[in-house]
Amino acid sequence: MSSDEQLPDPTSRPGDGDSALGSDPFADWGGPDPLAPWLDALDRIAAGEILAVAAESGPVTPPREPAAIDEIDEGPAALAAPSAGARTRRRGVSLVGKPARTPRRKREAAETAPRAPERDLLPELRTLARIVGEDPARRLAAIGSHIDGWDRFGLSPRALQQAFPLFYALYRHYFRVRSEGHANVPVTGPVVLAANHGGLLPFDGAMAVVDLLLHSEPPRLARAILDRFAGALPWINVFMARVGQVVGTHENFSRLLDDGEAVLVFPEGIDGIRKTITQRYRLQRFHVGFVEHALRARAPIVPMAILGSDDQAPILFDVKPLARWLGLPTAPITPTFPWFGPVGLLPYPVRYRIVYGEPLCFHERFSASSAEDPAIVRALAGQVRRAVQRLIDGHR
Amino acid sequence: MAGVLVTHADQPLGRRIVKLLWHDADTSRIVALGEGPPPRAFDRFRIGAAPRLVYEQLDHARQRSVAELFRSRRLRDLDIQAVVYVPRHGTSPEGPPVVARVPARTAEARLFLHQALEHRSVRSLVALGSAFVYKLAPGNANHLVEDSPLDLDPAVPAALRTWIDSDMLFQAEMSGRRLRVALLRLPTVVASGGYVYLHPLLEGTGGPRLCPLGFDPLCPVVADKDVAHAVLATLASRATGVFNVAGRELVPLSVLGRWTGRALLPMPGPLLRLAGRSAARLGLGEAFDGPLLRFGMSLDTRRAAAELGFAPRYRIGLARAGDGALRLEAVAA
Repeated sequence: MSSDEQLPDPTSRPGDGDSALGSDPFADWGGPDPLAPWLDALDRIAAGEILAVAAESGPVTPPREPAAIDEIDEGPAALAAPSAGARTRRRGVSLVGKPARTPRRKREAAETAPRAPERDLLPELRTLARIVGEDPARRLAAIGSHIDGWDRFGLSPRALQQAFPLFYALYRHYFRVRSEGHANVPVTGPVVLAANHGGLLPFDGAMAVVDLLLHSEPPRLARAILDRFAGALPWINVFMARVGQVVGTHENFSRLLDDGEAVLVFPEGIDGIRKTITQRYRLQRFHVGFVEHALRARAPIVPMAILGSDDQAPILFDVKPLARWLGLPTAPITPTFPWFGPVGLLPYPVRYRIVYGEPLCFHERFSASSAEDPAIVRALAGQVRRAVQRLIDGHR
Repeated sequence: MAGVLVTHADQPLGRRIVKLLWHDADTSRIVALGEGPPPRAFDRFRIGAAPRLVYEQLDHARQRSVAELFRSRRLRDLDIQAVVYVPRHGTSPEGPPVVARVPARTAEARLFLHQALEHRSVRSLVALGSAFVYKLAPGNANHLVEDSPLDLDPAVPAALRTWIDSDMLFQAEMSGRRLRVALLRLPTVVASGGYVYLHPLLEGTGGPRLCPLGFDPLCPVVADKDVAHAVLATLASRATGVFNVAGRELVPLSVLGRWTGRALLPMPGPLLRLAGRSAARLGLGEAFDGPLLRFGMSLDTRRAAAELGFAPRYRIGLARAGDGALRLEAVAA
């Protein structure tokens, strides 16, 4: 392909000339159109400019209806500006500006019928609303409304919506989560949620995220900080990122708070999930980085107790030499693992209880530069630890 | 600014920068250096007895050629005050991989920095670097600021090591008073039609690529037009230091591969390493592997916004062309 063709004049705009397009980079692909999922994403790109490109092949029918947003596939441009014309896609063919015809009688009936609240939802969210209810669906829609494709940490609103029904079912019917103290979580602005950690698999984090999403107004998605171990696991790292969880580097943590997010941390780290049954609900040593970031970002810390997680997969023994040999954080022996294979790792249907404590506003007493003082940071982390332990002891 | 010298102006990104400089009223003269014949795109800029654009053909990695150019009376007369260092492609955009030429990148950076320091009239140097120099922690997305650590692991693939070497070279000269040095760290640069620059896996010709199974790292992208605007903003602001420059879009590698016509073939990690070793033994070139294919990144561009006034102007996505095919387009936001 000639590179001259690839580079249009800097002052030109798409559609000004064929030189901007170059030859077809996808021409050599055989078989079904691999770009089919992205056809709809195209339809959502700022309509005017893209329609100008399409217009070269012929006149475009003026838009007659609001954008049809069925089957929108995610992509940076997918959730951008609403498209001006309704478009229909059939196996890789995009029909620009030709809205599907609706019988007149049906159109009139639709116009005169009272609008059910569900009709305001996007089509994909209507399906979600039928599964989990309208309120959670609306909350998810609100979370994704400001994200265009993927956010800077990999969160995809679409992936979140797809994963949500499973975790909602776990929240409602499997773990039967009860929670209290939501008023202690600030409605907006940066906040660090510091919770105890337990259970072999991090369902405590998932339940805390779902709980905050369902009980905060406006809805907030807690961004849980993951151990780097999880970030290196195939598939897991992608899934966690797409549903909003972030690997705990200093830059990530700092930027999340700068963005005004609610950051969920488990200061015990990996030590929390490998507690044996004799250490249930006894907090392990706290990492202190979250206090540094909270001080720098002037964010309150809300202590949280998650009860139930330590009972979901009680560890009888941790075979540490085996864990070291396998390169795993733990090699647990539980009543069901390894006797029942991987199925034995699944959590027992214990009842969860989540309690949010009074926010600790260290930033009101200490300056941002206090984050540089290890003694202060350690002391404040100790205060958070005691606050979480009190919550656990008070609600068990 | 009086005159600007642009290296590798015959390559797509260099051409883009030259074109934008030509439209900039503050730039009186442009010296475009290239290793090949002058691109046809420059023909219309080189009309008249004393055109604003002068094209010089020279080997950028040859010390004698570069030194003679900088000492020449001709260059002195053109009153060059700024050098825009555009590094060579790791692979030729129009041909097969040219891995053998990659080490020349560090040599070129050293040569042009040295000559810019020595030259009487040159006051500033804007170098384009790569954002793939950062050390990536495990995770689908690492948010990276300019002060994030570089990847100094000795096991870094050669294709990235040259970027890291030249990055450190430019950083070492930033505290000097003689020359203002600004380094723009760029993520994957894409342009209309599917052109890709900098990403070690995607740059070069279209076609399938092997990647590790179970990973889909987040990739920041920037339109080539935005890169040219960032260069112009840096020249105008007279800023020094390191700046992350990125567009608005962040896309997973699999999507970026589809967008740019490079199908990704996921393969289990051990098999991928085996395939890489086999390809090297068979003389098929070095297969790229490393954290970059597993762990993603996003760039913090707040410093560039504050000090350079840079804000991405173009959105990147698929657009339907007149013939009905979908192609990658950079669209004014």
